[in-house]
Amino acid sequence: MAALKKSGAYRQLLESMYSMIALLFILVACIELCNAAAAVDVYRLIQYDMSGSPFGSRFAALNHHAASLHFPPGADLSRTVLIIPLRELNITFVREYINQKKPLGGLLFLLPQVFSFENGGNKQIHEKEKLKNVLAELEQLLIHANIPYPVYFAFENDEIDTVLSDIKKNDAIGQPATATTGGYKLVIPTPEPKKVASPTITNIQGWLSGLKGDVDANQLPTIAVVASYDTFGAAPALSLGSDSNGSGIVALLEVARLFSLLYSNPRTRGRYNLLFGLTSGGPYNYNGTQKWLRSFDQRLRESIDYAICLNSIGSWDNELWIHVSKPPENAYIKQIFEGFSNVAEELDLKVGLKHKKINISNPRRHIYGHQGKNVQIFADDSSLAVNPSYVQSWLDLLSRTPRVAPFISKNDPFVMALKKELADHTDEVTVQNEILEGIFTFYDSTHTRLNIYQVASVTFDLLLLLVLGSYLIVLFSFLVITTRGLDDLISLFRRPPSRKVKTA
Amino acid sequence: MTVFHFFNCAILTFGPHAVYYSATPLSEYDTLGTSVKAALVYLGTALVKLVCLATFLNVSENDGFDPYQELLKALIGFIDVAGLYFALTQLTHRNISQNHKFQAVGLGWAFADSVLHRLAPLWVGARGLEFTWDYILQGLEANANLVLSISLAALGSLMWLRKNKPKTLIPIIYACAGIVATMPSITSYLRRGLGWHFPKVVGFELFTSLVMAFISWQLFSACQRPSA
Repeated sequence: MAALKKSGAYRQLLESMYSMIALLFILVACIELCNAAAAVDVYRLIQYDMSGSPFGSRFAALNHHAASLHFPPGADLSRTVLIIPLRELNITFVREYINQKKPLGGLLFLLPQVFSFENGGNKQIHEKEKLKNVLAELEQLLIHANIPYPVYFAFENDEIDTVLSDIKKNDAIGQPATATTGGYKLVIPTPEPKKVASPTITNIQGWLSGLKGDVDANQLPTIAVVASYDTFGAAPALSLGSDSNGSGIVALLEVARLFSLLYSNPRTRGRYNLLFGLTSGGPYNYNGTQKWLRSFDQRLRESIDYAICLNSIGSWDNELWIHVSKPPENAYIKQIFEGFSNVAEELDLKVGLKHKKINISNPRRHIYGHQGKNVQIFADDSSLAVNPSYVQSWLDLLSRTPRVAPFISKNDPFVMALKKELADHTDEVTVQNEILEGIFTFYDSTHTRLNIYQVASVTFDLLLLLVLGSYLIVLFSFLVITTRGLDDLISLFRRPPSRKVKTA
Repeated sequence: MTVFHFFNCAILTFGPHAVYYSATPLSEYDTLGTSVKAALVYLGTALVKLVCLATFLNVSENDGFDPYQELLKALIGFIDVAGLYFALTQLTHRNISQNHKFQAVGLGWAFADSVLHRLAPLWVGARGLEFTWDYILQGLEANANLVLSISLAALGSLMWLRKNKPKTLIPIIYACAGIVATMPSITSYLRRGLGWHFPKVVGFELFTSLVMAFISWQLFSACQRPSA
């Protein structure tokens, strides 16, 4: 009686243990752990709607196997991600894929290290030039296409290189055979990209008043110096760099600094008011500049004698281009051009004049830009010399900061830094915040982390199960034979029939 | 698939214990209680060892082989032997023959060792997407450990529970017991001092466990003849 009770209690204990283990297994299924072979920073292609039509890469999450360009022809790629290093890029191949809307799991472009913003230096300039052209062409293709799968950019590093060479090896053989040289899975667990609600553009302006003298301050003419500080590119998180329009910004800040030194002393103050403008919305048809100009007082607008728009200074070698809206025969233009030429001659620069017709009804009519090298107007070795370290440090900052307007909030530290800098050099700074309206809608999720896992195929797991099952069975039979004898093993399989015989 | 892999490695690590229990006459004589008690004794000795290691050992930065530290670890490893002695001799077992007693104790010991040392890494690691061979090798190591524990328990029972032993065999028994008891030090020396990789070390462990099992089986049957 006691023995039965004890065995009953035992059985209950075992049963409760089994149920606990079952519960544990259910919990197991919900938890997913990360233990990747490599984790890389990746930057997504821009996603935007222009007047309602979708452009760019429409998805962000990724969970597919990886393949390289050497995939066996005719393979189904709808659940694979193609990893394409920029060096091996065949632009016609990509164009064909996108234009014919062939199904693909995703695209991952690998940019060489020389393009990385942490990696400065001018090594291998020729290779860089060729790659830059390829990249520019690729950018143009991707921006104007509607791509229904995720497209990401990443920088090459050792981990990705080993992974890619492994993948190429597998693709060359055919299908991967064993577990260790099995497939790689790329996983990016981000949610669906959402629209950026009311993207803001921030215009900052600084004002330096000129010498009043016998004339009323409000009647002094004004010279406006304007530059736009934001950028646009295929991958918003990678849209940094000093061109378009970092160099203009740096020149503007340097000019502001120098003029603030001059204007602080009434004896060296000029008879012009100076208006410095840092505008946003440059790539979107100068949207920001347009709004900024519209917000001007009528009198202010009338008093602007000259407006200088600095754009992409430093991109050409030794040439300076002035784009003017009025024809070159105009007396004012001639005067300015002569002045520039004289200075430029001293500095071994060439100055050219380009006549660009600009729509007069558009408030942009006063704007003309000039492109050229850093113009040193003031003498060297004086306290008014252009400060190269100032210029360099601002250029460095701009080269490292991605500045796509919809992704910069009102209180972005970069905008605050610009405002503070301008406030240091001018009398009065005002900030104008506008909404980037119009035909563009942008989506977020630009920078995330990619996990690369080395996974074993399903057949491997099943094979392993088979091997283990047979191992345990062999072990069992071996132990039964050695400890209890062969008869016992056979009797294990013959017990049910013998029981039937007994009860009958 | 990853839970599948975890399941595979789990049955490789813990399956043989269950198979051993059910295949041998241990299940017929219902020696589960003995095994459970042996597992608890293992838990106790593990705690004592932990405290001793924490007190006396200083952790070195590099992964090299420090003879002094290893000697200390081997000495602390003898606490294991003391625990086994306690489990074999001091615990009150039901009326089981000596033959089955050492098997049950060895089984419980090995099972506790596997659970404590291998379950947590398996749980955390084998469920990820990433595939490595580590957990399969760990399972093989658990198998080797089972054989070693049972042979150590056999030698222990020979040493402490059997009163009349042939004189010539006694030093051999003690020597074998010594070798089996210091197996952890030997494997760590191989891994760190000689720089062997994990698969090689596991192969070595499997080989020596089989050899030791064979030797202890021979010794046991040799000792059994006079008293039988």
